[in-house]
Amino acid sequence: MIVTHKWLREFVDFDLSAAELSHRLTMAGLEVDSMEEIGAGFDSVVVARLDSVELHPQANRLTICQVCTDTEVVQVVCGAANHKSGDLVALAQVGSVLPGDFKIKKSKIRGMESRGMLCSEKELGLAEESEGILILPAGLNLGTPIFEALDLKDVRYEIGLTPNRADCLSVLGVAREVAAFTGESLQTPQVPAFTSASDGIEDLTSVSIETTDGCPRYMARLIRGVEVAPSPDWLVHRLEAVGMRSINNIVDVTNYVLMELGHPLHAFDFNRLAGKKIIVKRASDGFNFTTLDGQVHELCSEDVVVCDADQPVALAGVMGGENSEVQDDTVDILLESAYFDPRSIRRTSKKTGIHSEASHRFERGADMDMVPLALDRAADLIRQITGATVLEKAIDTYPRVVEKREITITRTRTNALLGLYLSLADIDRLLNSIGLHTRPSVASTDALCVTVPLARHDLEREVDLIEEVARLNGYDNVPVTMPVSRVVPPIDTRSIDFVTNLRDVVVSQGMREIINYSFESSKVYDNLLLSPEDRRRNQVALLNPLNEEQSVMRTSLVPAMLETLGRNLAYKSSDLGLFELRPVFMPQDGAQGEERKHLCVALTGKRERLGWAHSAADVDFYDLKGLLEVLFEQFGVEKPTFNPDAPEAYLHPGKSCSIFAGTCAQDKVGVIGELHPQVLDNYSIDQPVYIAELDVMALFHCSAESKRFEPISRFPDSYRDSAFLVAEDVSAQQMLEVIDKVKVKYLEDVILFDIYAGKGIPEGMKSLALRMRYRSADKTLADEEVNAMHAKIVKALHKNLGAEIR
Amino acid sequence: MEQQLEVMLREAHQAMLDADNEADLQNIRVQYLGKKGRLTAIMKDMGKLSAEQRPIVGAIANKVKDELSEVFETRMRALKQQHMAKRLEQERIDVTLPGRHQKIGTKHPVTLITEELVQIFSYLGFSVAEGPEIEEDFYNFEALNLPKDHPARDMQDTFYISDNEVLRTHTSPVQIRSMLKHQPPLRIIAPGTVYRRDSDITHSPMFHQIEGFMVDENITFGDLKGILTAFITECFGKNVGVRFRPSFFPFTEPSAEVDMQCVICGGNGCRVCKNSGWLEILGSGMIDPEVFASVNYSSEKYSGFAFGMGLERIAMLKYGVNDLRLFFENDVRFLRQFHA
Repeated sequence: MIVTHKWLREFVDFDLSAAELSHRLTMAGLEVDSMEEIGAGFDSVVVARLDSVELHPQANRLTICQVCTDTEVVQVVCGAANHKSGDLVALAQVGSVLPGDFKIKKSKIRGMESRGMLCSEKELGLAEESEGILILPAGLNLGTPIFEALDLKDVRYEIGLTPNRADCLSVLGVAREVAAFTGESLQTPQVPAFTSASDGIEDLTSVSIETTDGCPRYMARLIRGVEVAPSPDWLVHRLEAVGMRSINNIVDVTNYVLMELGHPLHAFDFNRLAGKKIIVKRASDGFNFTTLDGQVHELCSEDVVVCDADQPVALAGVMGGENSEVQDDTVDILLESAYFDPRSIRRTSKKTGIHSEASHRFERGADMDMVPLALDRAADLIRQITGATVLEKAIDTYPRVVEKREITITRTRTNALLGLYLSLADIDRLLNSIGLHTRPSVASTDALCVTVPLARHDLEREVDLIEEVARLNGYDNVPVTMPVSRVVPPIDTRSIDFVTNLRDVVVSQGMREIINYSFESSKVYDNLLLSPEDRRRNQVALLNPLNEEQSVMRTSLVPAMLETLGRNLAYKSSDLGLFELRPVFMPQDGAQGEERKHLCVALTGKRERLGWAHSAADVDFYDLKGLLEVLFEQFGVEKPTFNPDAPEAYLHPGKSCSIFAGTCAQDKVGVIGELHPQVLDNYSIDQPVYIAELDVMALFHCSAESKRFEPISRFPDSYRDSAFLVAEDVSAQQMLEVIDKVKVKYLEDVILFDIYAGKGIPEGMKSLALRMRYRSADKTLADEEVNAMHAKIVKALHKNLGAEIR
Repeated sequence: MEQQLEVMLREAHQAMLDADNEADLQNIRVQYLGKKGRLTAIMKDMGKLSAEQRPIVGAIANKVKDELSEVFETRMRALKQQHMAKRLEQERIDVTLPGRHQKIGTKHPVTLITEELVQIFSYLGFSVAEGPEIEEDFYNFEALNLPKDHPARDMQDTFYISDNEVLRTHTSPVQIRSMLKHQPPLRIIAPGTVYRRDSDITHSPMFHQIEGFMVDENITFGDLKGILTAFITECFGKNVGVRFRPSFFPFTEPSAEVDMQCVICGGNGCRVCKNSGWLEILGSGMIDPEVFASVNYSSEKYSGFAFGMGLERIAMLKYGVNDLRLFFENDVRFLRQFHA
């Protein structure tokens, strides 16, 4: 909503600077988004008189003008053709800078000196288009800045209104608020009675309403003998100041009243109405209607339409029809001022995609009491501007009378909710300041009965009035207090805390967290080589996506991770350790996806950053696996097991595995592996990438509830190192499982410290070197005891896996 | 014998002083004072002395031994010191070479801000709650006093999954879910991901909010001001100005927009605050009786306030990030700037 300082002052006499007014409006809940001085930057453009106009000797399209201000006469070369000697013009003087950093300099044009510029309306921002230069009305003082001389200096405020404040969608509505906070009185426009000797309106036309739901009230006036013409300057400038374009004097008046009083009006060419009558009803399904902007809309039985005897002539409260539009030759007008049902208007506006000034107001709720005033105000202005005759009476069809609401407000509840100490008299005064009528409650000395004006659709309950009291009293005047509340036990947040701790542990291992969009393309899993049946391809889809790339909800964090890696690699950040900890949306039988938090970790590039003391080795599978092992250890995950089953099509089959955990290692918690070379290709990545994706809640369920202390032995350890020769395909895990099964009482831990194959080792074999550490909690172990235990282990390895000591 | 001892003392003394390394010195000590040393050898003849002479010579022998021991200790200390001084002079490293760093990761700035805010509200007695991102219309709109066909639904462009399901447009549905699950008193903070169908330089279709609310008997609008002022000064500093101004949200009444003094220009007016000196940072208000009705709380008995804010916006102000899109591009050159 745009209002101007001057326009507001027509309704309320206040004395505030622009900055002050802007602040007060904002603090009253009418937030001023921007403020602009009209004519700012044009102070050096002044009224001047053309003392002579002669043709340029070297160019017949140019003129040489002697221009007289109050202090000097300057020569200006001008390219326009609409000026003559004696005219008053707008002179931009040398040295002035017009908006857009347009400097006016002394120059020579085709050999003739020019000292300034004669401005057009367009150059002054007074019109979007203009021909020739601006010729000013006679009688203005020479040398006066042009906006001052034309009385156009003003300030424009753009107010970002909240949807509940439809009552402020007008200059009058905003002025009411200004009156309330300045304490000044509000002047509403006065409309004289219309007297005409001609026929009575009821003999010439009629209005009937067939949908009282859709249209509770419809008023009309007949105006005869209008002359459709361009509007007078004051009207054009007013509309331009609030951001509206001038069309013609009739349309401009309806728009003026719309902005002034907030009530939408519509003018029909009376002689183009078939049967010279108005019928308001629901449209028939499938009817095609052309609005005055030339667009065709298919209507349905929910749309309210204004019809003549034959057909719709307007989409009620949204936009008029082409068939009844006021045209240059229009002489008689039927002026409509009606009230249309907000829900109907909203539906029609949404369906047709027309968002007009009228629909904007009707769908938020117009003011029923403004219907007659707006009609008369517009009729009066049309009469003044065009000299037309307004028929004495108006038609007022008002089948469904809307009663004003009465609400009781109590002092106790007001103060209790706000934390204030107001008296009933304070509340009374505050509510009166915005035109609410109050009377003492009969039932209680603590309460007031408040009658709510029909413009205030938002005031329905006591709490709505309490808000008005808070607002009018000023939020600043509510004392800042700290709540007094009972202490309550915290709600269970274990699973939330687990995620926070998990993130901390991943970060502590050098990973950087990323956040990608939850949307993805429906085709994204082609790049991951997933089979057509894979469940992850069946993503939850958006009904109204922004684009294909963001059309479905992701079912894995891997694709976005790979895109992130690719993008960073393209920027030459080639050593990356990234993770994402976010939900994926797995499809379910119902439409709603099951949200599961996943953890995706990816490593690529060098293990350490380049440095004189750093290794230049690349990361490999075991860096990532080690990271996960640390996680499992930190969270006491039971029996994490890596199962080399080539679980994912997007991973290298020989360098990937599933991860299981739980008491019997029965729950699959995720996968880990090196990215498949084909997938690397698909993402244009040319270095190995190691990636893991885990189901965080599965991990949570396999993690230990709490930490438990284990006693520390006070006795020394002793260890035995043995290198075993085994077949190449014997896995480390197999070795460890065998050792575990021997159940050696004092075996403290086993460390695999070397793997070797090659020279000195028979073909098809490898050597695994293990350090086994033995320790008792209550004695120092004798050599013989340790040797015996170690021999058992060696024997078991030999028996089960054919391992030979080297 | 006395003479022998005298000679030995002089010789040994000189020899110790002449020794130029610890090993030689040690050998000299053994040579004179060891079990098989000169002193022992001399003392073998003690038996030949008279009973009167014996204690006298014995005393002299002890004195010689003590004196030599002291000379030895002194010399040994001096040699050790010389040795260490020489070593220290020879050993040198270039201390200006950079050290070896442990790899330390980084949290996403949105996570950092979330954790900071959650911590501030934890101090104020709030517990964390979460809710689903694909949300039912009931929780996202209906129960929050946003019936279908309500113009206020236009305030939020919504992504629909079906007629009845949306990507939540705010974290407020967590309010409804929490209130349906628990009875007052209640103090909840709910960070989370939200979605709006809007994408340009200053809008992201996915972003993050934090929702907070408190319900008990006798909670006032003054309390709302108290808690939020405490939060802002805790987060942005004691001296930052805060103002509350009327606004509209369907789920609160009265509603308040909360501004803080522009942290970029200190309230003097700049591009970021559109020359107003103030930055809008959160929306708030007293929970609307309609909302209480939809969770079967008595608005006669209870009152409460709720608030919500955009986390990217807070992060931008706090860290001076000037482009919203950076948060979702995940460029490591951006990410690595956010240390814990």
